Amino acid sequence: MTTHHDGGKPPLGIVIPVSQDIAAGIFLMLVGAFFIWQSIGLPMGTLRAVGPGMLPRAVATMLLAGGAILALIGVISRNGERMPMLTIRGPFFIIAGILLFALLIRSVGLVAAGPLSMIVASYASKDTRIVETTIFSVVMTGACVLLFKYMLNLPIPVIANYW
Amino acid sequence: MSFIDNLAMGFGVALTFQNLGLCFVGCMVGTLIGVLPGVGPIATIAMLLPITFGLPPTGALIMLAGIYYGAQYGGSTTAILVNIPGEATAVVTCIDGHQMAKQGRAGVALGVAALGSFFAGCVATIFIAAMGEPLTKLAQLFGPAEYFSLMVMGLVFSTVLAQGSVYKAILMVLLGLLLSTIGTDLETGQERITMGIQNLSDGLDFTPLAMGIFGFAEILRNLDTPEARDVVRSAIGKLLPGWEDFKQSWKPVLRGTFIGGLLGILPGNGAVLGPFASYTVEKKLAKDPSRFGKGAIEGVAGPESANNAGAQTAFIPLLTLGIPPNAVMALMVGAMTIHGIIPGPQVMTKNPDLFWGMIASMWIGNAMLVIINLPLIGMWVKLLKVPYRMMFPAILIFCCIGIYSVNNAMEDVLSTAFFTMVGYLLIKFGYEPAPMLLGFVLGKLMEEKFRQAMILSRGSFMTFIDRPVSAVLLAIAFGLLIIAALPGMQKKREEVFVE
Repeated sequence: MTTHHDGGKPPLGIVIPVSQDIAAGIFLMLVGAFFIWQSIGLPMGTLRAVGPGMLPRAVATMLLAGGAILALIGVISRNGERMPMLTIRGPFFIIAGILLFALLIRSVGLVAAGPLSMIVASYASKDTRIVETTIFSVVMTGACVLLFKYMLNLPIPVIANYW
Repeated sequence: MSFIDNLAMGFGVALTFQNLGLCFVGCMVGTLIGVLPGVGPIATIAMLLPITFGLPPTGALIMLAGIYYGAQYGGSTTAILVNIPGEATAVVTCIDGHQMAKQGRAGVALGVAALGSFFAGCVATIFIAAMGEPLTKLAQLFGPAEYFSLMVMGLVFSTVLAQGSVYKAILMVLLGLLLSTIGTDLETGQERITMGIQNLSDGLDFTPLAMGIFGFAEILRNLDTPEARDVVRSAIGKLLPGWEDFKQSWKPVLRGTFIGGLLGILPGNGAVLGPFASYTVEKKLAKDPSRFGKGAIEGVAGPESANNAGAQTAFIPLLTLGIPPNAVMALMVGAMTIHGIIPGPQVMTKNPDLFWGMIASMWIGNAMLVIINLPLIGMWVKLLKVPYRMMFPAILIFCCIGIYSVNNAMEDVLSTAFFTMVGYLLIKFGYEPAPMLLGFVLGKLMEEKFRQAMILSRGSFMTFIDRPVSAVLLAIAFGLLIIAALPGMQKKREEVFVE
């Protein structure tokens, strides 16, 4: 399994050593199975009076079957496309940035949530420059306060409980 | 009321100071995101949805519509100057448009694209206005079975026209339908698949889903595949096409407008097909097809007109039938419901000012776009030099504020994080997320219509085949799937999408 990278260190990531179709099929099988399990208690009704459980279970079953067929195709065709590597850097910092925003917006306010989540998220790219990003994030936060708070009158907490 | 009266009323609505301003803002923002590669109209509209809360519904929709067709204009600028399609519909423009730019004729290419789009926009506006009434009447004849079959056809279209494998796209539609069943059952009031989570009893929220999967997951996709930007360095040159250029391009513009406009009406994102079809037609009709790919002006004029015409006629299924044909229109449904308007045939009778005002604003918007695009081109070129490492944190913060403001709930931000992961995985698995979103949006309505149809037919599936309109719609859907599955067609699809 080789990894693509443009010079320098190879990016950190999770390699799933099966073909893309197998992985994709299994994923949807799991989703389908989960929904079937969750809809067990729901009444199916009859065709004349369709109950709340009929469509979820029917569609989930189709998804389960469809995923199985896809996985099977993946097993049969040996030279199918490999599963691309799941890089860690991008998702980690982007998700961290979003979570940070969610945690800080109510408790501290946009003054902290804005710059911090932007700075953390910017590390998702390996070309990030800390000074540039810091300045940019502060300016952007200011612009957001102007735009959302003043021009659009949205109740965004700039400094929690005060402003 | 006659057609002219209606349009006059529409212009009355669209020409108010506030609506003109909103139309301008929409077109400006649309051009901006169209120009910037990596920011799509879906993410932008999702991002701006909360901003429209404070606006009256007509103004809100005028602005959102402006973003949508403005993005089509902006997308072609990037295609011509940088050889990256700013929008999916500008893919074809890259081929000859960028070649023209390399030959120092970037200005002419941009000019033809803008003028062709403007012409197409004008024709499409009149077309929507003329088609609106008859189609609305037709829609009122539709029973639940016809509605259900029409949506099936729309979903099939969306799978055939999605990038990549048709089979995987069908699976994505199923996933979308499945996600739409979460929440309280409409008929019995029973909670379904909520896993005991209180917030889920109203169903999955659309904004976090769309934003996670289209806004943030798109960022992750872009970070994994760094793009090479090949900005044209030579001068842009004169903007207005000369007499010779005009003679070469007026027929392609006419044909492109016709093809794009017609395909745009199809439910299931037919608009995407317009530019490809137009390019193929122009190449077939040309005296010297070998010029194509080397900077033929017809290869810009036709597809550009087609994509703009299609972008606008795509409003027809939404406004008359209440069925969104693509993901952007699905967001429009969200915007309409937020304002208490249920899209469908009743919009025209109950909110005529909204319906006609929006149509009139499209024409005004198109005129504004020519002005925004041509003289200001230098500004857009500068924008292209903003590196992605600065763009994506800015997108992130805008999106976060946007999602938070919908309900002032940090839970929404958290669920967006969840859908970002889901979207990232889907992309890695080779699933195109657009059909899923369409399935999700249509899911509730489809289930409702299905259950109604089954009650009316006393539990017989035959109702979908016995009723002629429904049978025709299903037959078209079925036929399309067969055609798409033919080995020859599969190859053609790949060729088209790989370019």
